[in-house]
Amino acid sequence: MRRPSMAIRVNPKLIDELELYGAEDVQNCYHCGNCSAVCPFSKEPYIFPRRPMRYLQMGLEDKLKGSLEPWLCYYCGQCSEECPRGAEPGETMMSLRRWLTSKYDFSGISRLFYKSGKIELLAVIGGALLTALAFVLWAVLRGGNIHSYSGENAFLPAASIHIFDWALAGVLLALLLTNCVRMWWFTMGRDKRLKVPFWLYLKGLYLLPLHFLTQKRYAKCEHKRPWAIHLALMLSYLIMLVLIMFFLGVMWSGPEIDWRVHVFGYLATVGLLGTTIFALRGRLKKSEPHYAHSHETDWIFLVLLIFVAFTGILQHILHRVGFDAAANVTYIVHLMGVVPMLGLEVPFSKWSHLAYRPLAMYFSAVRAEAMEREEKKALEPAMAAQSAA
Amino acid sequence: MEEQRIGVYVCQCGTNIAKVVNCEEVVRAVSDQPGVVVAKTYKYMCSNPGQEMIVADIQEQGLDRVVVAACSPRMHEPTFRKALQSAGLNPYFVEMANIREQCSWVHDDPQVATEKARALTYGALRRVAKHEPLERMSVEMCPDVLVIGGGVCGMTAALELADGGNRVYLVERQGTLGGNVARVDLTAPYLDSARDLITSLVTRVEEHKRIDVLLHSEVSSLEGFVGNFTATVETIWGDGASVSQFKVGNVVVATGYKEFDASRVVHYGYGKLPNVVTSFEFEKMLRAGRVQTKEGKIPQYVAIIHCVGSRSKEFHTYCSRVCCMTALKYAHEVKSAIPDCYVSDVYIDMHAFGKGHEDFYKRGSEAKTLFLMYAKNDHPVIRKAGPGDDCDMLIEVNEKLSGEQIEIPADLVILMVGMEAREDSEAVARLVNISRDKDGWFIESHPKLDPVATTTDGIYIAGVCAAPKDIPDTVAQARAAAGRILAKTIRGSIEIDAVFAEVDEDMCSGCRVCNTLCPYSAITYDPEKKKSTVISAVCKACGACVAACPSSAIKARHFTDSQIFAQIEGVLA
Repeated sequence: MRRPSMAIRVNPKLIDELELYGAEDVQNCYHCGNCSAVCPFSKEPYIFPRRPMRYLQMGLEDKLKGSLEPWLCYYCGQCSEECPRGAEPGETMMSLRRWLTSKYDFSGISRLFYKSGKIELLAVIGGALLTALAFVLWAVLRGGNIHSYSGENAFLPAASIHIFDWALAGVLLALLLTNCVRMWWFTMGRDKRLKVPFWLYLKGLYLLPLHFLTQKRYAKCEHKRPWAIHLALMLSYLIMLVLIMFFLGVMWSGPEIDWRVHVFGYLATVGLLGTTIFALRGRLKKSEPHYAHSHETDWIFLVLLIFVAFTGILQHILHRVGFDAAANVTYIVHLMGVVPMLGLEVPFSKWSHLAYRPLAMYFSAVRAEAMEREEKKALEPAMAAQSAA
Repeated sequence: MEEQRIGVYVCQCGTNIAKVVNCEEVVRAVSDQPGVVVAKTYKYMCSNPGQEMIVADIQEQGLDRVVVAACSPRMHEPTFRKALQSAGLNPYFVEMANIREQCSWVHDDPQVATEKARALTYGALRRVAKHEPLERMSVEMCPDVLVIGGGVCGMTAALELADGGNRVYLVERQGTLGGNVARVDLTAPYLDSARDLITSLVTRVEEHKRIDVLLHSEVSSLEGFVGNFTATVETIWGDGASVSQFKVGNVVVATGYKEFDASRVVHYGYGKLPNVVTSFEFEKMLRAGRVQTKEGKIPQYVAIIHCVGSRSKEFHTYCSRVCCMTALKYAHEVKSAIPDCYVSDVYIDMHAFGKGHEDFYKRGSEAKTLFLMYAKNDHPVIRKAGPGDDCDMLIEVNEKLSGEQIEIPADLVILMVGMEAREDSEAVARLVNISRDKDGWFIESHPKLDPVATTTDGIYIAGVCAAPKDIPDTVAQARAAAGRILAKTIRGSIEIDAVFAEVDEDMCSGCRVCNTLCPYSAITYDPEKKKSTVISAVCKACGACVAACPSSAIKARHFTDSQIFAQIEGVLA
């Protein structure tokens, strides 16, 4: 007779699947634990990279789906340097983040992109062409003047673009939020043994903006440069996002643009161009551990970003020097980059980590505290008995 | 009786003795003893100047007996015997008093220790007075060698010996040579063909004019002693048997091992689940070039379980040493035969100690063998999978590296059965008069410094019959045993120590108490004369028979009653 088994089924096939996400050497790991020992972030109850690597080798998909550990890693690469067997734990964590992104995404689009760079590239190009077609058609049909850049008669009037921006932001936010809820469910919600009182969630809520804005955990890595570059990129992007979402009208109305908008705008542009050039150079030269392995999605992300930053500043310069027609054409090209970049990358690909990473910091802190509470509670009767005696 | 002239030499052994024992005091105490002509102390008696001093005294002062109060006789008795011999005295006229191991090293009160050293030296003094001149014997050494077992080990030893010019009788129980290695497909870690390896050995053995191969044969008796054994071999033919007898000087025991019976481990279902096979059964599949299930299907999942019968309290606690690399070899061979197959390797520890082993292990990892670790004394359980599963069996185990209770899919399970001493190892041990350890492996003379000799002169052990080992180690031992024998036989004779037991036939009542008591089987019984005789070449002078003989008919040379009593009197004086 078969007895009911609590055992988890091993799936040796998962490791093959993860290869598409960039994990190529996981099988080499023989669990010496050097990686977890050298990692500045690995501590109870989140021991990594060894533990997630083990789950991956054994194909314990459910365990992996519930893991927050990959998001707690910043890929400083020390683990990979210390690995005696070349199992690339840093890259494995990176590929697990890609895999988790595809698991959080309910639509399956993310999975498609990660599994094939060609499909993502086609989607980006398709999106770009559609964007161009839509905006040109719309401008022509409403009788926009290609020689006019700002004001009522502008080829692409700021007020309309602003509405479009908010509409796009709304869609993206809805998609991303759905995925975030799924992330919560996999890592926190469905775990029946985990009892988290609501106030614990509230108490830790400040962690979200804190980690988002400072990335102070990243600063704990031994090498500080990757953190500085990443923070500069993120803040530049954030400034630009705020300018576009809230001050698009002001940015437009030349020639007397508010000097504060100018200062922030140029600052953000320099930041975006500088950091993306640095990252692209690094990936080409494989200069640092986290640049040593590049997935197709990494390239698409960086190329789109530099493209958008460059066309953005170019259309601004063209307008300022009086070539409004050229500025309008460049603006269309700029939008051809912006729309696919935001529309595809934010909910489905690499950019989604802007939400998942701070969320993971937040969840991990809440989870650790909840577990500690449970442990204490379990010990209470014994402690009481002890003090009574 | 002529007055004896005795020299007493008290060694300081640097400070080893002198820091506790007052050596001057001992010298003073023995100087006035009867017969003592010279008494001296010196820093290192065993050094060349120390020995030269003794030699000079013997020659100049006409000494005829010497006492050396120094370390254990096990350490330097041969040294001083040689010194006496070079001075023209019988080497047995020296007696050592052990004032180091049995005195200075174990006491810290100088006064008491000095008194004990004096007493021990007095004992030696009285004893040496009773010593008799003894002569060593020389026995002829037959150059022919008997090799028991025709596997890699036996064949290698036979070839080495025969190449060295000796005649070899190679006795094999089976109808073919090759032993267990002949059942194997490839060897780990270099994946050379075992068949090629065996074929080249067998061809050379069969063609060698100095090797007599006796197949279907077993040694039924071995009489005699080193240099002079008589072996009786029984050969079973199809319808009859024949007996042959020959003289040999030395014997190499290379009887190998048998594999562990996997059905003893009930939770693996071996014998009940058709697709659970042993490593040797899997070798058969590999040799036939058909890696498939009993139903003839190509397996999608293959699982390998290590340490079957090894490293467990229940069966054998030792490691069989070859299974880890053999398991990795299977992983490699399965992947070569079926590239889409998933191989799980369920192990306790990966023992990759040998040359090229660690690289081979890494290659196994790179080929995506899934290594799953279980705890010693824990065990995986194999059961039939359900109809909804995509595999034939499931192996449930507590996996150590993840801490999870897991089940592993499998269509074919290979059990890495360990090595076991053969059932008749006890009979073989009795036949050649050697001992076995608790697991049935033969015991070597010294586990580190004398690994192929045994406590019986002329009997050597090599290969797995002494303990599990791989082919390179086995070959090394086979050659080592051959080398030891060649070194002994090249001189044509062997010298035998003059110290052994002797039976006074007039006093022997033929009760045979000593026959069974002798741990070296050195005593034979003549049924016609009804007397026992000690074979002096085999006797180690342990004294068991001397003490046991109810008629006091046995005397141990150099350990006579009068010598022992004199020593006791000396100590108590």
